[in-house]
Amino acid sequence: MRRQLRSRRAPAFPYGYRYRLDDQDEVNQNYLADEEEEAEEAQVLVVPDLEEEEEKEEEERSQGQPIGNAWWQKLQIMIEYLWDPERRISLAQTGLILFIYFFFYASLAAVITLCMYMLFLTISPYMPTFTERVKTPGVMIRPFAHSLNFNFNVSEPDTWQHYVISLNGFLQGYNDSLQEEMNVDCPPGQYFIQDGNEDEDKKACQFKRSFLKNCSGLEDPTFGYATGQPCILLKMNRIVGFRPELGDPVKVSCKVQRGDEDDIRSINYYPESASFDLRYYPYYGKLTHVNYTSPLVAMHFTDVVKNQAVPVQCQLKGKGIINDVISDHFVGRVIFTLNIET
Amino acid sequence: MSRKTLEIYSVELDGTKDTKQTDQEDDKKYNDLDLKKSHQKEELKRELDLDDHKLTSEELEQKYGTNIITGLSSARAAEHLARDGPNTLSPPKQTPEIIKFLKQMVGGFSILLWIGAVLCWIAYGIQYVNDKSASLDSVYLGVVLALVVILTGIFAYYQEAKSTNIMASFSKMIPQEALVIRDSEKKVIPAEQLVVGDIVEIKGGDQIPADIRLLSSQGCKVDNSSLTGESEPQPRSAEFTHENPLETKNIGFYSTTCLEGTATGVVINTGDRTVIGRIASLASGVGSEKTPIATEIEHFVHIVAGVAVSVGLLFFIIAVSLKYQVLDSIIFLIGIIVANVPEGLLATVTVTLSLTAKRMAKKNCLVKNLEAVETLGSTSIICSDKTGTLTQNRMAVAHLWFDNQIFMADTSENQLNQAFDQSSGTWASLSKIIALCNRAEFRPGQENIPIMKKVVVGDASETALLKFSEVILGDVMEIRKRNRKVAEIPFNSTNKFQLSIHETEDPEDKHFLVVMKGAPERILERCSTIMINGQEQPLGKSNATAFHTAYMELGGLGERVLGFCHLYLPEDEFPESYPFDVDAMNFPTSNLCFVGLLSMIDPPRSTVPDAVAKCRSAGIKVIMVTGDHPITAKAVAKSVGVISASSETVEDIARRCSIAVEQVNKRDARAAVVTGMELKDMAPEQLDEILANYSEIVFARTSPQQKLIIVEGCQRQDAVVAVTGDGVNDSPALKKADIGIAMGIAGSDAAKNAADMVLLDDNFASIVTGVEEGRLIFDNLKKTIAYTLTKNIAELCPFLIYIIVGLPLPIGTITLLFIDLGTDIIPSIALAYEKAESDIMNRKPRHKKKDRLVNHQLAIYSYLHIGLMQALGAFLVYFTVYAQQGFWPTSLINLRVRWEKDELNDVEDSYGQEWTRYQRKYLEWTGYTAFFVGIMVQQIADLIIRKTRRNSIFQQGLFRNKVIWVGIASQIIIALILSYGLGSVTALSFTMLRPQYWFVAIPHAILIWVYDEVRKLFIRRYPGSWWDKNMYY
Repeated sequence: MRRQLRSRRAPAFPYGYRYRLDDQDEVNQNYLADEEEEAEEAQVLVVPDLEEEEEKEEEERSQGQPIGNAWWQKLQIMIEYLWDPERRISLAQTGLILFIYFFFYASLAAVITLCMYMLFLTISPYMPTFTERVKTPGVMIRPFAHSLNFNFNVSEPDTWQHYVISLNGFLQGYNDSLQEEMNVDCPPGQYFIQDGNEDEDKKACQFKRSFLKNCSGLEDPTFGYATGQPCILLKMNRIVGFRPELGDPVKVSCKVQRGDEDDIRSINYYPESASFDLRYYPYYGKLTHVNYTSPLVAMHFTDVVKNQAVPVQCQLKGKGIINDVISDHFVGRVIFTLNIET
Repeated sequence: MSRKTLEIYSVELDGTKDTKQTDQEDDKKYNDLDLKKSHQKEELKRELDLDDHKLTSEELEQKYGTNIITGLSSARAAEHLARDGPNTLSPPKQTPEIIKFLKQMVGGFSILLWIGAVLCWIAYGIQYVNDKSASLDSVYLGVVLALVVILTGIFAYYQEAKSTNIMASFSKMIPQEALVIRDSEKKVIPAEQLVVGDIVEIKGGDQIPADIRLLSSQGCKVDNSSLTGESEPQPRSAEFTHENPLETKNIGFYSTTCLEGTATGVVINTGDRTVIGRIASLASGVGSEKTPIATEIEHFVHIVAGVAVSVGLLFFIIAVSLKYQVLDSIIFLIGIIVANVPEGLLATVTVTLSLTAKRMAKKNCLVKNLEAVETLGSTSIICSDKTGTLTQNRMAVAHLWFDNQIFMADTSENQLNQAFDQSSGTWASLSKIIALCNRAEFRPGQENIPIMKKVVVGDASETALLKFSEVILGDVMEIRKRNRKVAEIPFNSTNKFQLSIHETEDPEDKHFLVVMKGAPERILERCSTIMINGQEQPLGKSNATAFHTAYMELGGLGERVLGFCHLYLPEDEFPESYPFDVDAMNFPTSNLCFVGLLSMIDPPRSTVPDAVAKCRSAGIKVIMVTGDHPITAKAVAKSVGVISASSETVEDIARRCSIAVEQVNKRDARAAVVTGMELKDMAPEQLDEILANYSEIVFARTSPQQKLIIVEGCQRQDAVVAVTGDGVNDSPALKKADIGIAMGIAGSDAAKNAADMVLLDDNFASIVTGVEEGRLIFDNLKKTIAYTLTKNIAELCPFLIYIIVGLPLPIGTITLLFIDLGTDIIPSIALAYEKAESDIMNRKPRHKKKDRLVNHQLAIYSYLHIGLMQALGAFLVYFTVYAQQGFWPTSLINLRVRWEKDELNDVEDSYGQEWTRYQRKYLEWTGYTAFFVGIMVQQIADLIIRKTRRNSIFQQGLFRNKVIWVGIASQIIIALILSYGLGSVTALSFTMLRPQYWFVAIPHAILIWVYDEVRKLFIRRYPGSWWDKNMYY
């Protein structure tokens, strides 16, 4: 092994030496081409000498090296490749360029990381910096499955079963037991204001599934879909710090959006006030207000014209609530169609 | 002479043949051309069958239905005018306007944008089939893209049309008039209203207004140089002297000049049917080369379009394989294409070029073809005509020899500084001979015009002598009046002298004075005495030797030498009433007194030597191509520096070392004088060798065809060749050259039509200005393109991130268009006003194939360095907006699908708040605006760093180019208007951005600036290093 090492190292000198000489030779040939033939000859003499030496070395090497040792040969080729005098410079350059690019992009990554870090220094994790885009709450309904058109046939459970499943799933978080366990029963009719540090965990008020009575799915596990009296839950979008103005709770009212007012003859709201109680406000944000449960208003469409699409618009009513933005059909209102077939 | 004329014909025809060989790629187009050409050739042949010169006056009258005395009637003339059209050369056939316009519509990036637009509509079509209420967004986008293409197309078309109009108005600037006999009246009418059969009168100084058959002539001589390139005056008379219409004396050709005398003739051909008209239209068949800048822009368009299409398709495939719908993928594709294509750039380039064209027009370079603005900058060889371009195109007295001494005369444009000794008595005699033995006269009515600018009737040498003596002696006409001429023998080629006999000034003195001038050796033969210091001495051997030395010396300078002698006739033999008879020569014409020699040359323009030196230091080879004699050519070449003082030709070396020319090592000579005769026997390889090996070349005695061969030889060396010329015979070479430069004053219309550029002052020095401007514009275009390309990455990244990471779209396609066609336009034009970084006239011309406008360094540095930094900066603004509104960057990942679902109206943000679709959409638009502002702010930094490529901005001066600041202001103002003014227009998807967001990207902008300064610092510090090689664009 020692011998191998030596023999490997030995040509390193002549290699470089030869390379230098070659170089010089070339230069000489360029500049002194027709001047001194003697000098040229002399150099020609030097070079073969070196080549001979090198050949000997190579012979030695191949003799001393048993043929089957593949990894060693591979390494040799690799090293020769890396030290190939003709390619050395270009390789080194490529390497350098790669390194520079790596360095450059690493620096850029560092810069952007730093910027992001600084950005987060300015942002509170509890309270959005700006809330003007969601000043007034949007409205959403459940069950929701890709579409706001409720088409189902009372006599074909397959057509409404997914609504029931969706509602059941949604209401799991509202189960009385869960609510009682996690959340406090806070006094109704007033804001549930929790002073104290921003980073303190906040308590959440209970909103029990049972508040929804006939639409809770407890008594009627089909939420009225089986009888053609579907329950639809209405949820107001959460907004950090939102308080219905002047202590008036936000009410919900639904009616036919376009067409005959009498298409919907009666709607039952649960809770009966058809409003979102003040105790569920304000919302303190996801981080501290972990168990916050969005209040719901259930609309029980007990008597709706069958076998025709009825467009329904449910609006929030209350001070400071905006429900007539033309461009946004979901701020303060929600529009959906009921098409109940019997 | 007549043979020469014939040669011109073969020239034009051969000229087209030559191009045929080089342009073989274009087969189909070529065949058409060929057809046209052979057709033209046919016509030309028929023209050669012209027999008007053989007809008698009566036959002519009959043939053209005219009357030699009364001329045509006005009615008849109007009839002919309606039949034949006006007597003007029709400009070369132009591509129909609609084709030009359509070319603009599909050229460059337009095709990509069209594809984008069509894809938009297809996408809408698919959407519509699936869902009848599909949003019209993609239709609008398609319409906007189409509008962009159409508007930029219209703009480019307008720009081009405008620059063509400059030319059109230019040719209208020089109205020509003709004196014509109609309705038995002499009338002056515009030459273009001449018709066949008109009887016109021409006189010395006039341009012949059409091809005419002379009916009578009094000493008429014409200069056929615009036809043949030879400016030797040729006599014209009414006699039929040769079968060939081109050689006979009784036909005058359109656009040639009548030098002296008067003549009357009948118009036999007008407009395009004239001989010149035919040659001109033939020349227009020579295909002109594509301009270097057009090649460069094409190259650039290919690069960008290649990137756009490949990135687009790559991400289309990625999107499809990421299970995006094909429809969405198409929309991504459109976004990527729009982001990649610098929509405004080509319009910007056009504006930049036309700005430079305007600037050049102010400096007397009128650019016909906008792209030619840059061509001059990449020119590496100028093949310059001698006469008129390098020289003043007039004869002027250069040297005098009297009293055994050579004196130098001032040959500058105004000649006011005549510093030679005028006290000698010999000069008094000589000056008298010069003034008297001269038939040239000033045209009357020019009292207030400086002498040099006065129009003279007479040939070039006589004009020179007249002006020379007018400058020195004062009113020559007055002197001639005092010395009344009693007899005269005009110059003719057999006796080679001119003689006149005058009364003397002194009324008491009844001597007659015989003055004579002519070829020096002939004059000397007739002399027996010589005047030295005012004293007449016998002409001894030593004097004769002195004469010969002087004659040889002046002749060796390439000057035209004239000898002067005089004789006072004895009063007794020749009394006052003596009847001198020039035909009988009843007076002595020998044993005169030799007074002196005078040599004339067409002097170089005073600005030329300096300009040639500048060209040389700018690495441009100046080759002189002239029809003149080699000795004259070489002398002029030496005096203007085309052959520099230190270089020698092979012949010079041979003479210096007293060895045979063959023995000289050709490598020792830097200069070469090649005559047309030598050129004729040369193989193209030999010509290539000469062009490659000698840095200073003069081609003398060349025919116009050879001029074309020389141009092609230069082009074989990958050189960008500029050719100057003025005659019709030059037009093929002008056309063939990469940039043909015609002379505005001396140039013929055919030359101007064939040229890309017109020098309004005929001054070679203007070319240097043009070169400088051309180089500057190339550098500045580089900067403009670098500036424009940079933001492409910042525009592209949002789409790529959007597809891969699923962020809400950071910037909309329409918003991108507002950057490309809004905020970025004025700044990129402003870069055209940037001053040169270093002395651009001290570097070599760029290599046509190696120094590209957009090289990989530029692309890499713009795309992967600055572009990426910009993208990061813009993303920072975008993230800031979203984070401060509630969506932290982490929450944005993969939010795309839920974000864009219209029915989903309670998407939760990082704070647990729920957003309706419209609220999200509004936030998205705010994000667009933020991203837009981020790019805009960093483009300001980009604009500043692009001011220089090597120097520090502080070396260049931050405030020197005021237009840059106008550009920056425009960027900011447009952005402010878009955000705050149009923030409420939802279709544009801009929103009012909080003021603080405008400043988020500023640190990044500063970072870009600093980074670029560091780059430039290393480039300056380590020239030639790999950094320099890779980072300098």
